[in-house]
Amino acid sequence: RHPLATFFHLFFRVSAIVTYLFCDWFSNSFVACFVTILLLLSFDFWSVKNVTGRLLVGLRWWNQIDEDGKSHWVFEAKRVPTIAASTEAEARIFWLGLIICPVIWTMFFFSTLFSLKLKWLALVIAGISLQTANLYGYIHCKLGGPKTISRVTSRLFGTTDVPKRQSRRIAEDGTEDHGKTGTR
Amino acid sequence: DLWGPLVLCVSLALMLQGGSADSKDDGGPQFAEVFVIIWFGAVVITLNSKLLGGTISFFQSLCVLGYCVMPLTMAMLVCRLVLLAGAGTVSFIIRLIVVGAMFAWSTLASTAFLADSQPPNRKALVVYPIFLFYFVISWMILTFTPQ
Repeated sequence: RHPLATFFHLFFRVSAIVTYLFCDWFSNSFVACFVTILLLLSFDFWSVKNVTGRLLVGLRWWNQIDEDGKSHWVFEAKRVPTIAASTEAEARIFWLGLIICPVIWTMFFFSTLFSLKLKWLALVIAGISLQTANLYGYIHCKLGGPKTISRVTSRLFGTTDVPKRQSRRIAEDGTEDHGKTGTR
Repeated sequence: DLWGPLVLCVSLALMLQGGSADSKDDGGPQFAEVFVIIWFGAVVITLNSKLLGGTISFFQSLCVLGYCVMPLTMAMLVCRLVLLAGAGTVSFIIRLIVVGAMFAWSTLASTAFLADSQPPNRKALVVYPIFLFYFVISWMILTFTPQ
């Protein structure tokens, strides 16, 4: 049902990995490869977090900051009445892409470390962080459990403002007073 | 919003590479170096300010520190232009003044955000790492000599 979203979900991640593996063929310049891969990883992070998760599996997560500066991580899941075959296929592609790529980047991390090509290490670490962040966020959404059940209207997905309406949400308080960061 | 800091960081790193080091290296390690200094430095400052009991959120602080690199990026641009005209004493003085002014701007701007979120007796403890961070970046900019 969402061919464009499916395409882009995989496109940026796979391009980043392919560019990393074959950067010597494309260009002699380390800098060009570094910047290209970094931009691909950033576009991938943005699109998976904001677009493809919502469209393909009906999950979303974000961080919002109150007036008094406290930050909350919110994880939401859309309650779907029926699962169509196309939705299942999309969901499978989504999760496969989401899980396999961080694993690949972790392998790159070890291969870079042991082959001592340390100038790539920063990039690999950035890749792992960005991809794992999305993986973690979506798993958290998924495993939120049927604790609070409400209907999420489709109009909600048009905006990422604070939804005052009901939705199945697992709100996490990342309060700052015990000195830990607001992230998880 | 970390897009702005990303763009600024990449531009600054691009302009800083290929400096006085090995020219056959294509400035690769230096590029990654600038990147790591900026991001790792920003993370450390954020952690420091949070451990001191600051009320600002982690990513907000990263965002502020990243955006406050903008004056220094402009300073780098000006320095590169000035260096095209020559590398003598006059050019050095111009670069020194520009970099100094932009450094002051960066530090004051980010301090305005980050120090306010601290209790009053801790402000200096938070300001010093920020000062050092922008000082290091300014130093890299000022000592940049094109190949």
